[in-house]
Amino acid sequence: MTDPITVIGTKTMINGNLEGDEDLTVEGHVEGSINLSKTLTVEVGGVVRANINVRNAIISGVLVGNVEAQEAVHITEQGRVVGDITSPRVILVDGSSFRGSIDMGDFNIETTPGESRRSASVTTHTEEEDESEAPARTPTRVRTAPTRRPAARPAPSRSSRAPAKATAKKTPTKKKKPPAPKVRSVGKAKGKKRR
Amino acid sequence: MTNTVIGSSIVIDGEISGEEDLVIQGTVKGRIVLKENVFVEQSGVVEADIETNNIEVSGQVTGNIVATDKVEITAGGRTIGDIKAPRILIADGAIFKGNVDMDS
Repeated sequence: MTDPITVIGTKTMINGNLEGDEDLTVEGHVEGSINLSKTLTVEVGGVVRANINVRNAIISGVLVGNVEAQEAVHITEQGRVVGDITSPRVILVDGSSFRGSIDMGDFNIETTPGESRRSASVTTHTEEEDESEAPARTPTRVRTAPTRRPAARPAPSRSSRAPAKATAKKTPTKKKKPPAPKVRSVGKAKGKKRR
Repeated sequence: MTNTVIGSSIVIDGEISGEEDLVIQGTVKGRIVLKENVFVEQSGVVEADIETNNIEVSGQVTGNIVATDKVEITAGGRTIGDIKAPRILIADGAIFKGNVDMDS
């Protein structure tokens, strides 16, 4: 009981504003607004009709309202969400239902971080397949962060890209130069033959 | 654990209603309507009118209390407001200011 865990039980209804600095689990009903600096968990059977500002949100129940999360929003198989989500990480699992818009913040699509983030979100869509194919890779469901975070850093990916391009450019030019006269001679020979 | 617990760092401004036990370790402002038991623990602060079956106050309650069964203010509990209930217990060391109505 002394643990700082707040639970809104199945038969409880809260109408109003809810704020706090600890994890919150909703099994019942909450209407109004929720501001948390920790994780909001809406369990199966839980219904939240509220605008939400939290660090993390894990939705297994019903959520109607806009969500702003500093870290991640995770909608599980049983989750039903209607509203707009603003969060750097949004995970929609196969079987979940969602209507609204998602804003993952500003990122440049042409840079690798954007590509890696896209691929990361794609893999989370087929999370179950990933687990069956490579269980060692994703032992924890929610915390796929370690695979993403390094990819999200622009500096190393760019630097790794740049030398690859440079070497790629250098090697073909070196190869082209020596055979170039041969090609020309062949071309001339061909031209002579044609004429 | 089907009961409702309002943790110590939680602030609720509004109305709580339900049909199960409610444990308050944080802050609740507004109104509480329950058909079961309310426990206001030592760290709990309630500024609300309360309608319930039973209530045990070990923290701080400001507001009117109407209970269908019992109101208990423990030794560390502080209550300001009117109480209406068939059974009212105020322990030695408790602080209370308000009217008491035991008519049932």
